[in-house]
Amino acid sequence: MDMNRSLEAYREAGGYQAARKALAAMTPAAVLDEVKKAGLRGRGGAGFPAGLKWSFVPAKTDKPKYLCVNADEGEPGTFKDRFILSHNPHALIEGSLIAAYAVGIHQAYVYIRGEYEMIARRLDQAVTEAYEKGFLGANILESGFSLDFGVHRGAGAYICGEETALLESLEGKRGHPRLKPPFPASVGLFGAPTVINNVETLANVPAIILHGADWFTAAGLPRDGGTRLFGVSGPVVRPGIYELPVGTSLREIIFSHAGGMLPGKRLKAVIPGGLSAPILRADEIDLKMDCDSLVAAGSMLGSGGIIVIDEATPILDVLFRVAKFYAHESCGQCTPCRLGTAWILKIVRRMASGNGVRGDVDELARLAAGIKGMTLCPMGDAAALPILGIIRKFKAELEG
Amino acid sequence: MSAPLSADLRAGIERLAARYPRKAAALLPVLHLVQNDRGFIGPDEEAEVAVLLGIGPIEVREVVTFYTMFRRRPAGRHLVQVCSNLSCTLMGGERILDYLKKNLAIGVGETTSDGRFTLTTVECLGACEQAPCLMIDFDYHGNLTEEKIEAILGGAA
Amino acid sequence: MPNITIDGRPLSVAEGTTVLKAAEAAGIPIPHLCYHPAFAAEGSCRICLVEIEGLPKLELACATVVREGLKVQTGNPSVREARRAVLEFLLADHPLDCPICDKAGECKLQDYFLEYGLTESAFRDDKERRAKKVRIGERLLLDRERCILCTRCVRFLRDITKTRELGVFERGVHSEIGVYEDRQVATPYGGNLVDLCPVGAITDTTFRFKTRTWFLSARLSICPLCSRGCGIFIDYHPGFPRVAGSAKAYRIRPRLNPSVNGPWICDLGRYNYLDHHLDRLRKILWNRGDREMEMSRDRVTAILAEKVKELTARGRGDRIGLVLNTGLTQEDLRSIRDVFLGGTPSPRPWFADPPQGRDDGFLLRAERTANRRGAEALGFRIQAVDLDEIGGGLEVLFVFGPYLKEAGSAETIERALAAVGTKVLMTAMPSGLERLFDFVLPATLPSEKTGTFINADGLEQAFAQALPPCGEAWAEGDFVTALGREIGRVS
Repeated sequence: MDMNRSLEAYREAGGYQAARKALAAMTPAAVLDEVKKAGLRGRGGAGFPAGLKWSFVPAKTDKPKYLCVNADEGEPGTFKDRFILSHNPHALIEGSLIAAYAVGIHQAYVYIRGEYEMIARRLDQAVTEAYEKGFLGANILESGFSLDFGVHRGAGAYICGEETALLESLEGKRGHPRLKPPFPASVGLFGAPTVINNVETLANVPAIILHGADWFTAAGLPRDGGTRLFGVSGPVVRPGIYELPVGTSLREIIFSHAGGMLPGKRLKAVIPGGLSAPILRADEIDLKMDCDSLVAAGSMLGSGGIIVIDEATPILDVLFRVAKFYAHESCGQCTPCRLGTAWILKIVRRMASGNGVRGDVDELARLAAGIKGMTLCPMGDAAALPILGIIRKFKAELEG
Repeated sequence: MSAPLSADLRAGIERLAARYPRKAAALLPVLHLVQNDRGFIGPDEEAEVAVLLGIGPIEVREVVTFYTMFRRRPAGRHLVQVCSNLSCTLMGGERILDYLKKNLAIGVGETTSDGRFTLTTVECLGACEQAPCLMIDFDYHGNLTEEKIEAILGGAA
Repeated sequence: MPNITIDGRPLSVAEGTTVLKAAEAAGIPIPHLCYHPAFAAEGSCRICLVEIEGLPKLELACATVVREGLKVQTGNPSVREARRAVLEFLLADHPLDCPICDKAGECKLQDYFLEYGLTESAFRDDKERRAKKVRIGERLLLDRERCILCTRCVRFLRDITKTRELGVFERGVHSEIGVYEDRQVATPYGGNLVDLCPVGAITDTTFRFKTRTWFLSARLSICPLCSRGCGIFIDYHPGFPRVAGSAKAYRIRPRLNPSVNGPWICDLGRYNYLDHHLDRLRKILWNRGDREMEMSRDRVTAILAEKVKELTARGRGDRIGLVLNTGLTQEDLRSIRDVFLGGTPSPRPWFADPPQGRDDGFLLRAERTANRRGAEALGFRIQAVDLDEIGGGLEVLFVFGPYLKEAGSAETIERALAAVGTKVLMTAMPSGLERLFDFVLPATLPSEKTGTFINADGLEQAFAQALPPCGEAWAEGDFVTALGREIGRVS
C-alpha cells in the first residue's frame, strides 16, 4: 500500500487518475458494473458485495441520495482504517468520489469515531486540499458532477459501526440500530436512499476502475477477490498491517509476515477477524483468510483483525474481555442483548474472581444461545458467537 | 451557573449545523466543540445547544449520556484513558493500568487532587499494533513502558 | 388480499397487515410488550418473534407485513423457546415484587410468564438495583427496577402528545427512563402512561396501594365531562362481605373506541370524575325554613305531583318552570318532555350548563356536557336561563343540575328564586344554592344510571348502569316518570 499523504504525493503515485477516467470516460452504470464484476466485498465485517449494495439504490428518486463512509472502526483488533485515513486519505476520497458518481450521490459524510480526533484533523486537511484542487465540490474535473464531502465525528460507541446505528448517530441521535426493512438503500440518512461503505472498501475502488475488474480478481479468490489489509496484534514479533491477497493462509500471515510469536511465547489460539469472530485453536490456523473459508471453519473473516493469543494467557481472561466489551457497548434497546450481555458478564466476573460454580460454563452457553439470532441488530450475534466459540473450543480449561 | 457560550463558539455551532439538511444532525460534532471549550456538558450547555439546534434539552442529554466521550462533569486537565480490551491486555495493559493507579495515587474514574489527571479505562482504541496503548486527551501512545508513561505524564502541564 | 397460513390455518388478509394483527384477528394471540397499535413497530422487546417458513431466523410478528404464500408458525418449539428466553432475561432483571406492586393481576410479565414461561429462575447473581420511586408527574411514579424499557411511555409523549417529557438516558443495561431536570410529565394525557406501561413501572399515586386489581370489576360507561363521549371503564370494588372495605369505584380507565377516543382518555375524565363521590348529596331534604327534614321518595313525589296537578287543573300549567342541563340522558329528557311538556317541547325549559372550557386539540372538547346534540335531537331549544322570567311569578320551578349558579350573581339568583312559589332542586353535586330551595333531591351521576348520550359528532352511545347509586340518589328520568305516574299523565 502506498503511503501517500498529501494530495501531490498521491497524484504523483497515480492518484485521481481513476476518478478522471470514471468521470470523463465512463457512465455511472459502467462504473457500477465494473465494481460489480470485480466482486469487491465489503471490508467492514459483513463482507457484502459493494457493487450489489450500490445497485439497490433506486435510480429514480425525488430525494437526495447520500454516501456514508463507515470510519467508526470499533471492532477490537482492527486498525486498518486508521492506517488508510492517516497515511492515504486521498484513496478514500477518490474511492468515495467514484462511488458517488456511480450511484448519483452528491453528498458524502465520513462518520469517523470520536477517538480518532487527530486522524480526523488530517482527513479534514486532505478534504480541504481536494476541494482546493477541484476533486471535490462543484463540477469536479469539468465533468458536471458535484460532490460535497463532510467529516462527522462520533463520540465513543461501538454500536455506531452498525450501519443503521451510524445513520441514527449521524442524524444527531442515540446510536440505536433501526429495524430492517426498510434498508438504507431505500430509506437511509434523513429518510433518503443511502449507501454505507467501509473505508477500506472504498479505498479499493480507484484501483478497480483504473486497472479493471480482471486485474482486481487476479489476486485473491473467485467471488472474493483483491487484497485486504490484515491487522495482526498480540504477542508477535511484528504486529501491524499487512496488505495481502484474500485467501492468504492464516499461518503464513502470523508466522511469516508478522514474524511469529515473541521469544518465549507459544501460540494458544487466534481470533481471526476482530473480537466478534469465533476463536480458533492453535491447530486450526491452516486455513485461507477469505470469507467462505472462515465461515466453513465456524468463524468469520469479519474485519480481518487477527488477535494472537499465547499459552500463558488463561482463556478466562479472553472470555472476560469479550464479555465486558459487549456488555459495555450494548446500546440497550433490545431485551436479549441488553440483559443477556449483562447477565453473562456477571457470571464471568464471578468466575474471574474465583467464585465460579459447576454449571456456570453451561449456563453461559445457554444464555449466549438465548441472544443468538434473537436481537434487533447483528451485535447480538457478535456478542454471543465469540462466547459460544470460546466455550466450544476451551471448555475443559474453563471448567478446570 | 456557567457563562453563556461565547460568540465564537456559537458561530462555530452555526457553521457545523449548516453542513446538514437538518440542524439537529450536527449535535455530536457540536457537543465535541462545546466540551473542548468548557471541559464538560452541563445543563446550561445543554440548554444553549438545544436552542441553537432547534431540539429539546432532553434530547441533548439523551445523547450526552449515551456516548462514552461526553462528560457531564468536569474532569482533570488531562484525561488519561487506558485501553482495557483484549490485544492491550495480552501485551500487559493491566500492568500499565496498575502502574498509573499507583503513580497517580488514584483509582479508575478518579481525578488527582491537584486536578491534573483523570484516569479511566476505555475499550479498543484501534491502535492494537502498538499494544498496550493509552490515550491522553486526543493523543495516542502505544508500546507503553513505565519510562514512557513517566515522560507522557511529565509532558502534560 | 394475500393468502397466508398461520399455524396451518389458511387466512386471507388485507394488504399491508402485519403478521401480529393478522394472527390476533384470527384469534391467535401473539405476546407483545413494546408493540402498541397506536405506534409504529418498535421491535425491541423481541417477545413477538415467530417462525416464517424459508427464513433462517425468527422474525418479528409486529413488524413483518404479510405477503402471498407466507407460512407462519406461532407455537412450535423454536418460537416457544424464544419467548421463554426473552421472559427469562426480563425476569432476571426484574425485582419480582408482585406482592407490593399495583400492576399485579393485570401485568403482562405475569400473564406471559404463566402462559409461556413457568420455569425456575437460573439467576444466581446480584440483581441490578435502581431507583424505585422516581417522581415523574403530579400523579405518576416511576420504578426503574420494574421498567423493561419497552419505551411505550417515551413514544407516547413523543408521537401522541408531542410533549416529550420522558427520555432514555445512559446505555446498555444502565439505560434508564427519566424526565429532564424538574420538567415533569405535565401533559393532560399523562394518566394514559399508567395504562400503557405493560408492567408496574409507572404507577398512579391515586391508585397506589389502594386495592388489588382482582377485587375490581370493570364496568363499562361513557365519560360525561365533555361532548366527546370517550369510552371508559370504571373499576368497581364490591366491598363487604366479599372483601373488607367499602364499596366504591377505584379508578377510571379508557375503553377502546376507535371512532371516538381510540385507546386514550384525558386526565380530566380519568381523575376528576370519581372525586365527585366525596361531595355528593345523598338524601331527599325538605327545607322548612327553620330546619331540614328528610323525606321519602313516595312522600316528595306525592307532594310535588299534587302541586303540579293542582296548577294544571287551574289552567296555570304555564306557571311551572324547568331549568334543565345538556348532561341529562335521552331517557331523562324524554321523560321530562312527556310529563311536563305534553309530548312536545315548549320554549319554556331553560338550560343551565357548566361554562365552556378550552378545546385541547385532542380529546377534550370545549363543551363540557355530554348530550347537547341529544337534547337538540329531541326537539329542545337550548336557551340560557333568564332570571327575570324565573322571578316573574312562577309557581313551581324544577331545577335539574348544579349549574344555575352560573346564571348570575348570588344576589340576583336569590332574588329571582325568592319570587318562586315551590322550588325543587335535583342534583348529584352540591351547587351552593341548596338552602334556597324547598326540596332538594339527590340525583345520580351518569355512571349510576342506564342511559344514552349523543356526542358532538352525532354518535349515539348507550351505557348501562355501572355503579350503585350513591345514598338515595335517583335518576332524574326515574323521578320524573314517578311524578308523571302520580299525576296520572303517565301510566
